[in-house]
Amino acid sequence: MQNTLQTRDKPGPGGGPDPEMMLIFRLSGEVFALPVSEVHEILDPIPTTPVPGAPPFAPALINVRGAIAPLIDIRQRLRMQAMPASDTARIIVLDLPVAGVPTRMAIIADAVDEVIETDRAALKPVPELGARWPEPYVTGVARSGDALVILLNTDTLFCPDAGQTPQA
Amino acid sequence: MTPDLSAAVETFVQEAREQLEGLEGMLLDLESGADRDRVDAIFRVLHTVKGSGSMFGFGALARFTHHFEDAFDGVREGRMQIDNRLIDVSLRARDHMTALLDCGGDSPEAARLEASEEAASLLTTLAAIMGKGQGSPEASLAPPPAALPQREAVLRRWSIRFHPDAAALRNGMRPDLLMAEVAALGEAEIRLDASDLPPLAELDPERSYFAWDVLLTTAQPRDAIEAIFLFADDAALEIAERDPDAQATAAAAPAAAPAQPVRAQAAVALAQDTPAARLPQATAGSSENVRVPAGKLDDIMDQLGELVIAQARLHQIAAATQNADLESIVEEVERLVTGLRDATLSVRMLPIESVFGKFRRVVRDLSVELGKDVALAVEGGETELDKTVIDRLSEPLVHMIRNSMDHGLEDAARRQAAGKPTRGRVTLSARQEGGEVLIAIEDDGAGLDTEAIRNRAIERGLLAADAQPNPAEIHQMIFAPGFSTASTLSSVSGRGVGMDAVRSAVEALRGQTEIVTVPGRGTRVTLRLPVTLAIIDGFLVRLGQSVFVIPLAAVEECVEFEEAERRRDSGRSMLRLREHLVPFLDLDDVFARPPSTEPRRRVVIVKADGQRLGLVVDDILGQNQTVIKTLSIYHRNIAGLAGATILGDGAVALIIDVATLARRARAAQRQIA
Repeated sequence: MQNTLQTRDKPGPGGGPDPEMMLIFRLSGEVFALPVSEVHEILDPIPTTPVPGAPPFAPALINVRGAIAPLIDIRQRLRMQAMPASDTARIIVLDLPVAGVPTRMAIIADAVDEVIETDRAALKPVPELGARWPEPYVTGVARSGDALVILLNTDTLFCPDAGQTPQA
Repeated sequence: MTPDLSAAVETFVQEAREQLEGLEGMLLDLESGADRDRVDAIFRVLHTVKGSGSMFGFGALARFTHHFEDAFDGVREGRMQIDNRLIDVSLRARDHMTALLDCGGDSPEAARLEASEEAASLLTTLAAIMGKGQGSPEASLAPPPAALPQREAVLRRWSIRFHPDAAALRNGMRPDLLMAEVAALGEAEIRLDASDLPPLAELDPERSYFAWDVLLTTAQPRDAIEAIFLFADDAALEIAERDPDAQATAAAAPAAAPAQPVRAQAAVALAQDTPAARLPQATAGSSENVRVPAGKLDDIMDQLGELVIAQARLHQIAAATQNADLESIVEEVERLVTGLRDATLSVRMLPIESVFGKFRRVVRDLSVELGKDVALAVEGGETELDKTVIDRLSEPLVHMIRNSMDHGLEDAARRQAAGKPTRGRVTLSARQEGGEVLIAIEDDGAGLDTEAIRNRAIERGLLAADAQPNPAEIHQMIFAPGFSTASTLSSVSGRGVGMDAVRSAVEALRGQTEIVTVPGRGTRVTLRLPVTLAIIDGFLVRLGQSVFVIPLAAVEECVEFEEAERRRDSGRSMLRLREHLVPFLDLDDVFARPPSTEPRRRVVIVKADGQRLGLVVDDILGQNQTVIKTLSIYHRNIAGLAGATILGDGAVALIIDVATLARRARAAQRQIA
C-alpha cells in the first residue's frame, strides 16, 4: 500500500524518523486517521445511555468492560452533519490524557478500515486543507488511493474546554 | 540518592509526621495536668525526631528540635516547670518542626526556615522560659516540681540484640549512631557479632553482615530503648530484660513494675541465645498491624466494585435460567460478596477521632485570638467513617468551628447579661444512623438572627423583597455563596466564604447540611455523610426507557402521582401529602425529556437539606447495590447528576444528585414567589 502522509507542523517524538501506526476509520463519508497507540480496543455497537444536559459533543455513556466511558461524537467538533448509523458501525475506545488525567473514552465510527504505517518525519504541511477542517483539530492529511485521509489531533480534539465551533 | 534510600527517607518522613501529629495532642493534654508519663512521652517524641532527623539528612529539623528536647529533659528532671507559656511555645515549635519536615531534608527552603524570624522568636521565647525556670522555681506561676511525681530511679539490665537487614547500610542506616544513642541511655557493653561474615572472596562490601549485642544498665523504660530503633524497622530487634529479680537497686519500682516484667519474661524466653531468638521480628506487637498504602486499598475497592457488578449480572442470568442448582450457588456467591464488601469497607474505616483531635488546637488558638473563653466538648469520636470522607472533612469542620466561635458565641459580657456562664461551649459530636454518619457542631451562643439573615439575603439578591420563606429556609441561606452576616470582617471568619465552602465540600462527599437554631440558646449544624463513598444502596426508577438511581438514604417514601392532587396555582408545583404540601419536580422536565405519556406515574419523596421534595418518575424498579463511578470531565458539572453506575444487565445508569435538585426546586419557588 502506498501512503504518503503530510502534516501541518506536528513533529514526531524525538524529531527523528518515526514510523507510526495509524488506525483508519470512516465517519459521515470522510476518512480519518488516529494513532494506534491511543486506541484501546474496537467494539461492535453496544447500548448507550444518553446523559441529560450533556454537551452534544459528549452525548452519552457506555459500559466498556465494567468501566464507564463517555461516548464522543467528533462530528460536532469537525462541523460535520450527523448521519444515521451504518450497519458497519463500530465504537473505537481510546485511552488519552484529558486535562492531564488519563481518560478512557469512545468515539463513534461508521466503519473501521485498516491500520497503516506512516513516517511522521516525512509529513509536510498541506496548504489546500484551507478552511475545510477546523485547524486546531487536524494535524495533516494523507492520500490513500483516491481518498484523502484526515489525521486527527487527539491533543486538542478531546479537550473539554474547546468551543464547539472554533475560529478557523 | 538510590531508590532504596529515598524509600527509607520516605518512611522516616511519614513516621515523623505521625509522631508530630501525636505531639500536638500530648502538649494539649499537659493543660489538664502534667504527669510523669505525659512528659516522658513528649520527650521521647522529640528525642526520636531529633535523632532520626539527623540520621536521614534533616539537620535543620534536628538542630531545632534539640532545644525543645532539652527543655523537656529539664521538665523530666524537675529543673523546669510546665506552664502555659511552655505549652504555647511548644505548640508553635511543633508547627515549625512540621514545616521543617515538609521541606524534605536540608534544602534551601529548610535553611530559610531555620533562619526565619519565627524560629528565632521561638528559640528566644524558649530560652527566656528556661532561664526563669532554672533561676527561681518559687517565682514561677506553675506548680512546684513536686507536682511531677518522680518515679523511683530503678536501674534495670536489658539485653538487646540488633541485627540490621542485609540492605540496611545501602539504605543509609547508621548503626554507629544508633549504638551511640543506646550507650547514652546508661551503662552499655556493646559487642559486635561478626559471625555471619563470609570469606573475603564472597564479601559484598555494601551488605550488612553484622549484629550487635548490648548489655545495657539503665533507669530508662523499655520504650526509650525501642524509640531509638523506631526507624530501623526492617531490622531484627530483641530487647529483653535480664534477670528481672535481681534488680540493680534494692528498691522495687512501685508504679512501673507490674506491667513491665510480664512483657520482659516473654521476651526472655525468646532471647535464650537460641536460633529462635533471631527471628526476623521487630518489636513486640508491631507484627499485629500492617501498614498499607491507601492506593492499594483503593485498588481492592475498585475490584470489589467490579465483583459486585458481575455478581448482579450473574444473579440476573440465574433468575432467567430458573435452574435451582445455579440459583443456590448464586445465592451463596451473593452472600460471600456481601461479606467481602463489608470486610473491605471496614478496612477503610477510621475513627473520626483522628480529625476531631486537630480541633482542640484550633479552639485553643481561636480562644486566644477572639478573646473568648471556649470549652470544646467532643462526643462519639469512635464513630467510624471511610478514610476518604475523613480526609476531606477536616477543612469544612474547621470553617464551622470558626463560625460557631466567632459568630455563634457571644462575648463574655453579653453571656453574663443573658444569664449564661461566661465560658462558651462548642460541642462536636458524631454518631452513625443507618448508612449515614451525622456530625454535629453545636454552640450555646445567641442563635441565628433570622431577621438579619433575611435582610442580608434580600440585599444580596438571594431573596425577593416580598418573599415569605419560613425561618428554616432563611437559615439555610447562610450556606449560599457570598453570604456573610458579620458586620465586620474579622481575621477568623466573616469573609462569607466559610459556610458556602462547607456545603460544597459536604455535597462533594454526597452529604447534606442541616441547621437548627434556637434564639438565645444556640445553633446546631449537622452534616449527614454517607459512611462510604464507593458503594451505596440505590433506589432504581424508570423514566421512559432510561433507568436512574436515587441514593436510598435520601428516599423517604413513594406515593402514586395523582394529576388531580397537583395544584398549579401561581405556577407552584405542590403535592398534597397527608396534611402537608410538598414541592415536586417532574424528572422529565429536569432532564429535558419529552413529557411522559404513561398513565400511572409515581412520586418518590426524598429529603434534602432537611426539606422534603417529590420527584415524579414513570415507575419504581426496586433497590440494588450501586457501585458509584465518578463522571468524566465532560459530564462532571452537569447539575442534578452525582455519578453513574452499571446495572445488572450491563447498562449504564445515572445517579441523581438529590441535594442539587432540592435547591433548584427552592430557587424556582423563590422566583415565583
